[in-house]
Amino acid sequence: MKTKVMMMVILFAALGATDTTSSAHHGAAAFDMNAPVVLKNAVITEFLWINPHPLIKADYTDPKGNVEHWTMELGSTVSAQLIGWTRNTLQPGDKVTLYVWRAKTGATVGRFNKVDFPDGTTMRDTQRGGDDGGRADTGQRN
Amino acid sequence: MRKTCTGIIVGVVSVVFLSALAADQGSDQSNAARSPWKYYPEDARANKGDGGPAPRRDLTGTWAGESSGAGVERLVPPESPPPLTALGKQLFDRNRAEGGRGGITIAESNDPHVRYCDPFGFPRNMNDQIRSMTITSLSNRTFVLLKFMNIWREIWTDGRALPTNFGRGSDAHDPTYNGYSVGRWEDDYTFVVETTGMAPETWATESGYPHSVDARVTERFQRKSKNDLTLTMTMDDSKLYTRPVSLGAVHFRWIPSQTFFDFSCVPSSVQRYLKEMADPAAKK
Repeated sequence: MKTKVMMMVILFAALGATDTTSSAHHGAAAFDMNAPVVLKNAVITEFLWINPHPLIKADYTDPKGNVEHWTMELGSTVSAQLIGWTRNTLQPGDKVTLYVWRAKTGATVGRFNKVDFPDGTTMRDTQRGGDDGGRADTGQRN
Repeated sequence: MRKTCTGIIVGVVSVVFLSALAADQGSDQSNAARSPWKYYPEDARANKGDGGPAPRRDLTGTWAGESSGAGVERLVPPESPPPLTALGKQLFDRNRAEGGRGGITIAESNDPHVRYCDPFGFPRNMNDQIRSMTITSLSNRTFVLLKFMNIWREIWTDGRALPTNFGRGSDAHDPTYNGYSVGRWEDDYTFVVETTGMAPETWATESGYPHSVDARVTERFQRKSKNDLTLTMTMDDSKLYTRPVSLGAVHFRWIPSQTFFDFSCVPSSVQRYLKEMADPAAKK
């Protein structure tokens, strides 16, 4: 079942699923959509379940020991709920790996792509959750 | 030849695989606990076909729009470029819509809704963020209830004429976000609404088209079947446009459960979003 769901996520992302629940309220022009930055073992400091976009705030320690304070946005609360997100999906103190399309300015803010949890599961953004930065509304926690 | 055979095999395997997944997903959905308080866009998507003939003079119910997740697509976008007068161009140039002019960012935009959650006002609330609407009626009024921002519009059907004086004097009418609306049935399936007196500080479209207080917008709600409702909009505003401008057409589909989710822009939340996310992302 787990494999099937994972395949469905990949399949629908590849087909460019066009669920428009969170239709372009805010665009992605400010972000580098070429490749997401990977924040391994980031620690969640706050998860704000707000409109127009929920915010994930996390601290990331780079290989040199420097701590970066990150903020990233998701699609919207209503669209995220439809693929399994709740206001409690992330909790302060959670250690996770975050993938984020970073701001072109280089600031430590960006558009959320996906999160890998320690148990091996993954949750994605609605609008920018595909590995290519496309939609992943059909994605479930797999 | 080998390529053709390989292609056929891949195609057949893909169809079998997709069918298995679809059957599996259907089984999961039917077994899952469901709440009458939740909106399930897959139900609206699965509601195929026209559902039979439209009832006579009846738009009542809850309808899914293009941002509902139900796969409803916009029919016609607002006319672009708009046929502006000199004054219209002057006002339009003041409005810095996100994504406009080669990529205005949120930080650079002065869209009063994006920056402050100000009400869209009419007609923008009927052509932007079209999530769902409910229509219901009393004997002398029809109400359009919009889920995005929890807005309701009041359309009088008692035969009264629209007000015309929005200027000076104690008998003048104050402009409002939704304006003043009257409606009538053009035929058994087409409800026509005329609106004027909209607050001129609001934008007519997401892209920042201006409107004056004297603009008159005509909406035609045409129910083509039980499941299909189309809204076309035209704005006549001779101060700002050289001719009536099309604000496009949006399509709505009947929601079987008649339930939809809530979504409002909250001023305190958007201020935090802008300060901590959108403005730093665009700061040059």
